[in-house]
Amino acid sequence: MIQVSGLTKTIATPTHRVDILKGIDLEIPRGQFAAIMGPSGSGKSTLLGLLAGLDSPTSGHIVLDGEDITGLEEDELALLRGRKIGFVFQSYHLIPTLTAEENVLLPLELSGHAADGVERARELLQSVGLLDRRDHYPVQLSGGEQQRVALARAFVVRPPILLADEPTGNLDTANGQVVLELLITLNRREGTTLVLVTHDQQVSEQADRRITLRDGRVVLDA
Amino acid sequence: MRNRLSWSTASKIAWREARASSAKFLFVIVAVAIGVGSLTGVRGFSRAFYGMLLREARTLMAADLSLRVFAIPNAQQTATMDQLIRRGVRRTWITETLSMVASTTVPNPVLVSIKAVDAHVYPFYGEVKLDPPGSLARVLTADSVAVSEDLLLRLKVAVGDSVRLGGQPFRIIGVVTSEPDRMSGSLNVGPRVMITREGLDRTGLMSIGSRASERYLFRLTPGSPGIEEVRQTLQKSFPEALIADFRQTHPIITQGLNRATTFLSLVSLIALIVGALGVATAMQAHLQQKMDSIAIMKCLGARTREIIQIYVLQTIGLGLAGGLMGIAFGSVVEAAFPPLIARYFHLRPEAHWDPSTAIQGLAVGILTTLLFTLPPLLGIQRIRPGVIFRREMAEVRPGWKQRLRDARASLVAGGVILCGIGVIAGWLQIGTLRESVRTGVAFVVALVISLLVLAAIAWLLLRSVRTFVRRCPRRFPAPIRHGVANLYRPGNHAQAALVALGIGVMFTLTIFLVQRGMMAEMFKSAPPGMPNVFLLDITAKERDPIVDLIRAQRGIEGAPDVVGTVAAKVVSIDGKPIDSLNLKAWGRRFQRARAVAQAAERPAHTVIVQGAWWNSRAAQPEPQLSITEEAAQILHAHPGSHMEWEAAGRTIRARVAAIHRIDSIHMYGRIEFIFSAGTLDGLPIIYYGGVRVAPRAVAQLQRATYEKFPTVTVVNVADVLEIVQQVVDQIALVVRFISMFAILAGIVILASSVAGTRFRRIREVVILKTLGATRRRVAGIFSVEFMVLGAVAGLMGSLLATAFSALLLKRWLDADFRVDPLPNLLCIVLTALVANAAGWMASYRILGQKPLEVLRAE
Repeated sequence: MIQVSGLTKTIATPTHRVDILKGIDLEIPRGQFAAIMGPSGSGKSTLLGLLAGLDSPTSGHIVLDGEDITGLEEDELALLRGRKIGFVFQSYHLIPTLTAEENVLLPLELSGHAADGVERARELLQSVGLLDRRDHYPVQLSGGEQQRVALARAFVVRPPILLADEPTGNLDTANGQVVLELLITLNRREGTTLVLVTHDQQVSEQADRRITLRDGRVVLDA
Repeated sequence: MRNRLSWSTASKIAWREARASSAKFLFVIVAVAIGVGSLTGVRGFSRAFYGMLLREARTLMAADLSLRVFAIPNAQQTATMDQLIRRGVRRTWITETLSMVASTTVPNPVLVSIKAVDAHVYPFYGEVKLDPPGSLARVLTADSVAVSEDLLLRLKVAVGDSVRLGGQPFRIIGVVTSEPDRMSGSLNVGPRVMITREGLDRTGLMSIGSRASERYLFRLTPGSPGIEEVRQTLQKSFPEALIADFRQTHPIITQGLNRATTFLSLVSLIALIVGALGVATAMQAHLQQKMDSIAIMKCLGARTREIIQIYVLQTIGLGLAGGLMGIAFGSVVEAAFPPLIARYFHLRPEAHWDPSTAIQGLAVGILTTLLFTLPPLLGIQRIRPGVIFRREMAEVRPGWKQRLRDARASLVAGGVILCGIGVIAGWLQIGTLRESVRTGVAFVVALVISLLVLAAIAWLLLRSVRTFVRRCPRRFPAPIRHGVANLYRPGNHAQAALVALGIGVMFTLTIFLVQRGMMAEMFKSAPPGMPNVFLLDITAKERDPIVDLIRAQRGIEGAPDVVGTVAAKVVSIDGKPIDSLNLKAWGRRFQRARAVAQAAERPAHTVIVQGAWWNSRAAQPEPQLSITEEAAQILHAHPGSHMEWEAAGRTIRARVAAIHRIDSIHMYGRIEFIFSAGTLDGLPIIYYGGVRVAPRAVAQLQRATYEKFPTVTVVNVADVLEIVQQVVDQIALVVRFISMFAILAGIVILASSVAGTRFRRIREVVILKTLGATRRRVAGIFSVEFMVLGAVAGLMGSLLATAFSALLLKRWLDADFRVDPLPNLLCIVLTALVANAAGWMASYRILGQKPLEVLRAE
């Protein structure tokens, strides 16, 4: 499902060079829930960003669902994300000018399938317990509620891959637990491959597989 | 006790902060610069022009002193002038009048402005330039003329050819390329024909009562009396005359210049206010972003006063930078003026840097910026240090009493802003203190009303657009819905951008609509019976034959209307001398000779509003008089009043029998005083005629009349309207040029508002891209946002412009108003396109933003 080979990422500034990823090789099969762990600066979020095609690697290849994304143009990557990848951010990243339902519908609209999407959006909002708040704007929702809307948004196009970057990082324990349970439930129900970056040991314990990074390399994969 | 924050430290912090937001503040500086530039440009040009008028006063008058009289001087006045001549003062006499000139090459005669001069003396200063070059004194003789180039074109003749004037042949000896006193002359309609006094006599155009403007030019010599003495002597002898001397600029030109400067300055002030509104919104957005820093500073012990001090310095810095840039920009605007008015003012004032205009522009720029940033600056005191700990908590909306209490500072600030703007507007008015106060108050009242109406409409339109897009049964495409939703983005200031752009659009479109409305009214086909051809200067002997000739022409659509007039002057009303009435402005015309008529029967279309018309069959014990409502009001006359008149040395005493009203389109409408029949018998009468002719037959009538009566001037209304249109177009061009600055300021504010939301936009672009949006899709959403904003501003501007033009045309200009959708539609489309361009100008770079860079930073 996800194949990564010889992946490196280097950032060069006028004064120095930083090697963020120093050759990652990975294979995550379809439907697996993989947690990526590691201390700050280990390269977790960069790896996730590269998997999503949000940036290009310095070298190496990423194959998603049989398609090598490494040489794709920016707009081709965007279209691919719209079809194949759901994304959940630590800071929710909802569009402030759209209501909860509009935010959930957004990926469908972007891929041109909005017409039959309202049902699906409402079903997902129902799953995350926010159907009655579908007309609320992000600013009117709590952090936990915003993250639940973001979860619904991530699943709306039935992406084969879901990438989550510390989805519970900004939430208190209770809300974090609710969001995580929802994420796992939806993942199982929808049959997606889930790659989740986290610091939290408790969160990682619920994953099928734990990949630990340090200084840009995989140090543990179990 | 802690020391106060020093100004230098405050400046350092202010500078550091401004430098970090330099891109955003660049727009603010440009917005201020546009307003200041337009203001300094207008005033700089005006001062340069004024300076030139003063420097060149002698040349522009072609004399040391010019005396314009409205009647041929009487014996005593002539004696006064002769007395001055004997004491060494030199004099020359200029007559300007209108007439017809014909050639053999084109069938129709052309209406021209004739200027009769003594070529050996005129001009005392400056030079009449001829092509081929030559001295006027040497080449201009009693049987030759010098003409302007447009006459050669219209008559299809060349230098050396012959033309006929008053039926007499005259040879063209050259083209007048410049004449020094053209601006201070009068009757400047139609091409110029310069002729000698003997030549004018030969034409037979001038008879007693003929329409002409007479000027006497004087030159002092070393042994002659001084200018003050000459002026006093002439003033005493010619109390009604218009006297100008080289120590002052020409009063008529100066008056026009002052009015134009005040008007254009106020238009520039509007552009500046639009800019200042932008500064205010930008500052508010800036302070909102700086809320954390301000809260931290307060946590660290900074007092509110000190923080305000930092931001006041920053504002002053912005105003100063904008002002300085505006001064540089103003010199470009100043340079753009001479070509704009080149058609009527051939003189080019020397461009020079004028410190007083620059300082004024700078002061107005800083003051306006500071005034408009008062509300956000005062808002600093409401930022609590705790904000950094509990920002996520929703604020409880306080009750209206609390909100009113909170708004007290803003209300006070609003009052200060308005007073400040009033003072600035008053300062820009050239004139007396009273006029300044009146202008200041009127400007502020108009500004408040306009801004309130604009803000209300902007709010209503924005709300309607959102409701429409949301509630419309047919779901709009996603980019449209997202674009519209973006208008309500926090910190977007869509309403402010809308008001700013709307003001500019409204102003520019109003000028266009009023100009068009006025011209349409003038060109509108005249109501049946209204004359479209006028005949001037018909003598008593010519009256009946000319009427017969006209009747015999083809295409005549009604009997010619001919009125005989006598030049007569009011001496007193009910024993009160006319000079004691303290007449003002246009009312002063009654101090000079007026054209009066006599009639037995009440002329057609005349309505008596007071008193009664006299019985024409019964003998009257004394001459009777009917006067127009307006004249009666100005002169405080009423039925039963007695008026004493003086005409050609004869005194006439008449009783006011009636006050009448008549529309101005009929011949009698031009006559304000109608005496009973017989009163004016024996006085030199000159007749004026008007006739309705089918447009295609006008040229034939002009030809036939000129053939038999070459001294009669036949004016085709259509030709005059063309000249009027040229003048109106010229004025409208200048006003539009300046009003465009308001639009420009609006554009910059829109761009600044977009730039102010740059971080939010970047974040959205990144989210959209992460969710699968292509750059085209994102561009579509932003374009919809900018276009909707522009279209709404255009719609608002055109709605208000339509309302204002309707009001101006109907109430003030007495013209019809018809809604024309085309210019309004065009205006909406253009504003939408301009807004789109402005929006992209401020945000095109964010499209290429890499998502991960931004997401990592969060």
